Amino acid sequence: MPLQISRTRDAIEGPRPVRPVDLALLAGTWVNFDAASTGVHHLEIEDRDGQLILRTWGTGAPEPQSWGEVVAEPFTDGVALHEAVAFRADYDFGFARVMLACYLNKRLLVVDAYTVFQDGSGRSPYFQRDHFYVP
Amino acid sequence: MDVSSVRLEDRLARESPGGGQVDPSPMFGTWHNTDKKTGGIVRMALAERNGTFIVHAWAAGSPDLHDWGEVAATAHAANVHSGEGMAFSAVYDFGFVESILAAYTKSGILVLDTFNTFKDGSGRSNYFTREFFHR
Repeated sequence: MPLQISRTRDAIEGPRPVRPVDLALLAGTWVNFDAASTGVHHLEIEDRDGQLILRTWGTGAPEPQSWGEVVAEPFTDGVALHEAVAFRADYDFGFARVMLACYLNKRLLVVDAYTVFQDGSGRSPYFQRDHFYVP
Repeated sequence: MDVSSVRLEDRLARESPGGGQVDPSPMFGTWHNTDKKTGGIVRMALAERNGTFIVHAWAAGSPDLHDWGEVAATAHAANVHSGEGMAFSAVYDFGFVESILAAYTKSGILVLDTFNTFKDGSGRSNYFTREFFHR
């Protein structure tokens, strides 16, 4: 039975990739390039038995604010590939939900945050981008 | 105004926020992939339907494009005060695969990331794409 596809890129030929995907490129502590950022301060990514564990800190004064730990979903660059180059994670703080949509560009980690407020404060849903490196 | 926040950008610097409503119309129109040979999304129409911001995508296929149909999207502004849409997120669930769309506009270009998760046990790797569109 042929596999279902939603677009040409979904098609696969040959053997299936090894599971779980390799998280090595993503693992580590990632620090924001912009010391004056008002967004995400830094992230810690851990390979825990094949699961991508994400800990995030937002900017704050006087200290960064811990967002806690979530299980993130890793993504490769194609259906037949084994190496994770991107991930997605959801944080629900009650007053707001944040989707982190992240990918590697060379050895730069790009983090796009899509925030929606749920507290009636009148704040607009907003998009924010930050760039990170491993020191 | 004292509001909950998880990073500095969440905070309100003044008393007149955007009201929580973001106008998606700056993003309306038909967006075409800059890569004519893409195996991903070929074009997208962003519009309003009965008061709802919608995205309609067509993806690469042979001999015909895959018509993904319309789904509701969430518009995002550049910050908590702005009411002008410049980014969006949306979800397509095809049953065998779920595609999360995360996109932003900049200088007349729309940058689209997709995070694609297979649910059919086919052994395909979940994968990420990043593509560029013009109106």
